[in-house]
Amino acid sequence: MTKAYISGTGCISPQNSIDGEWFFDTINPAKGDFFDALEPSYKEYIAPNLLRRMGRAIKMGVAAANLAINQAEAKKVDAIITGTGLGCFEDSERFLLAMLDNDEQFLTPTSFIQSTHNTVGSQIALIMKCHDYNFTYVHRGFSFESTLQDAMMLFEEGKDTILVGGIEEHTPNFVILNRRAGKFQNQNTAIPIWKSTTEGIQMSEGASFFVLDKIKTEKSLARVDGIQTLYKPKTSQDILMKLHAFLKLHELSLADVDVTLMGFSGDVVFDEKLKELLPIIEKESTAASFKHLCGEYHTASAFAMWVATKLIEKQKLPKTVAISDKTPSKIKHVLIINQYLGINYSFTLLSQC
Amino acid sequence: MSQRVYITGLGMISAIGNNVPESFLSLSQSRTGIGKINHLTTRYKDEFLAGEIKLSNEALADLVKDSNPALNRNSYIAMLAAKEAVMNSGIDTNDGLRTGVISSTTVAGMSKTELYYKEMFVKDDHLNVLDTHDCGDSTERIADYLGNVDYVTTISTACSSAANAIMLGCRMIKHGQLDRVVVGGVDALSKFTFNGFNTLMILDREWCKPFDENRKGLNLGEGAAFVVIEGENALNLRKGKALAEVVGYANANDAYHQTASSPEGYGATLAIQQALAMSGLKPSQIDYINMHGTGTPNNDLSESMATKAVFGDQVPKFSSTKAFTGHTLAAAASIEAVISVLSLQNNMIFPNLNFTTPIAEMNLIPETKLVNTPLTTILSNSFGFGGNCSSLLFKKAS
Repeated sequence: MTKAYISGTGCISPQNSIDGEWFFDTINPAKGDFFDALEPSYKEYIAPNLLRRMGRAIKMGVAAANLAINQAEAKKVDAIITGTGLGCFEDSERFLLAMLDNDEQFLTPTSFIQSTHNTVGSQIALIMKCHDYNFTYVHRGFSFESTLQDAMMLFEEGKDTILVGGIEEHTPNFVILNRRAGKFQNQNTAIPIWKSTTEGIQMSEGASFFVLDKIKTEKSLARVDGIQTLYKPKTSQDILMKLHAFLKLHELSLADVDVTLMGFSGDVVFDEKLKELLPIIEKESTAASFKHLCGEYHTASAFAMWVATKLIEKQKLPKTVAISDKTPSKIKHVLIINQYLGINYSFTLLSQC
Repeated sequence: MSQRVYITGLGMISAIGNNVPESFLSLSQSRTGIGKINHLTTRYKDEFLAGEIKLSNEALADLVKDSNPALNRNSYIAMLAAKEAVMNSGIDTNDGLRTGVISSTTVAGMSKTELYYKEMFVKDDHLNVLDTHDCGDSTERIADYLGNVDYVTTISTACSSAANAIMLGCRMIKHGQLDRVVVGGVDALSKFTFNGFNTLMILDREWCKPFDENRKGLNLGEGAAFVVIEGENALNLRKGKALAEVVGYANANDAYHQTASSPEGYGATLAIQQALAMSGLKPSQIDYINMHGTGTPNNDLSESMATKAVFGDQVPKFSSTKAFTGHTLAAAASIEAVISVLSLQNNMIFPNLNFTTPIAEMNLIPETKLVNTPLTTILSNSFGFGGNCSSLLFKKAS
């Protein structure tokens, strides 16, 4: 079975994840009911002439990609695959509001040009002069998962090095509208998020990129063994059955999984099935959480993969990430079980390599 | 090793018809669907033409028999075309085989979002638009409408989107991850898209003239088209009938400019060459090319250059069918896949409407009348913003 070796990562999130030394020591809480990404000074990563026109999603994506490529010391990649639920929302909204406010007059094309969902992937291709395979997935909580599934197939088709990433941005207006629609809750009512009894999430944003290699190299940080998506599973038992089958495919059982990162969002309805699974996970494995760090967004699972890579690299589960009180003696296998809106579920298995 | 993949069902709704038989009639009678704007609300209504679906949202809601107020035009047309494809193929999604839905769209629910976006800040009536604005919405509506779908995902690579959906579907079957898959694309016309293309100054105020020296730009259209792709194992199991085989596909990037194609059509050349290489067919074995041919000065020149680079002086018969449907963006490649299969089935090349004068430096002349000729292999191109270039190769089912 094809595996993917992670040789570089880049992560922009509400936490200090852009700092290679940071290891979940100081944690930034949500700004009430949402998170903003902690953005770096982009000048280090993007040429000023390009930077001027880029929207935030593009900047976050290009910078995170840049970090991953630098760490991997990749000269070139054979494919660029991005995932994003809402794409370049800031540019879309800018063009939309200008159009509505000016009755379709006096419009300029820049924000329209940059509003397409594949802008981040194509900007990276332009910068890297990469004429190879370029794909953008835009399916809610499967956007990033689809990039990994595609990369695994491409390795079987002969590609060697692939850049994958998940990007999401929000705008002040979009936060206001979602708050008006009752989609949020204050972080204080949902601490810790896996114990929340109320509805609502903390919307967030960020970009996480990975350089994946078909073969293990001295740069390899961790290995992606497999990925599976589940659309609208009916019960937590369904999920558990599928999980056992998924792990069996990789010749593992739940007891072999040292850390299980679970996608609790703080919304009692969306989290219901994960909550039912939690005692089983805690018994067999060691449960941990990631959305209290990154917030909820379509491609939060990309952040989770960054966390999983760090845990494997450092061989340590910080208290700020753990749900269980247990301390794993080693971190060989990390499983991510994500859910988005209680509709899109996914398993991602990573291992020490 | 990996199994062969076949198209076994077609579904389509666009300006030239609400289903495949109606579309075929329009194509074989050289009747364009592009005309005066009726449904889209825009101040430019009387200045431009568009390829609109001839049904109101209410009429579409009646057709899908679903009164859920959360549905939008994008979902209605996607559901209709996907259902038609599944009915046409005869597959039963309840038979235990693994079925996927891979769709694609560029602006998704924008046609509804733009109506209520400002109102949502002060009134609560349409806040549910937030749930249906994104690209995944229509895909999940299709999946639920069909029932028993194991896998869903959505692609957005601008105007090449549906070609990539078709490609991914084929690959997932070849990799043994799915037995069959409903693939395609959808884009309902929105004021947002219309104004976007207008600011880029690539809209023709008259009927678009692909590959004509005096072409001024494209006409926007709207539509949805889906095809059912089955692996030969699943097809043989149910003794189903193949309509065409997908024998080649490729995805490359022009990496030249965010919106413009490189003058020499480098990305397009790569996509065509790689699709040919995969199929094992020589350029001389291609019977017809359904071009991307939007009618913009930039695309048609660049695509002509790429065509010459691959085929030299032996360019196969070709036409762009965009002057029938308008440019339907994410749906374009699946609409043209359906048209290509209709061409194979009927041995007919549908004409490149509105063409009179060849591009001076190219001297490439498309088919301008309906041509009845034996067809075995068809190349279909789709290119998009962001340099995304994809080519598909269809072969008559043997």
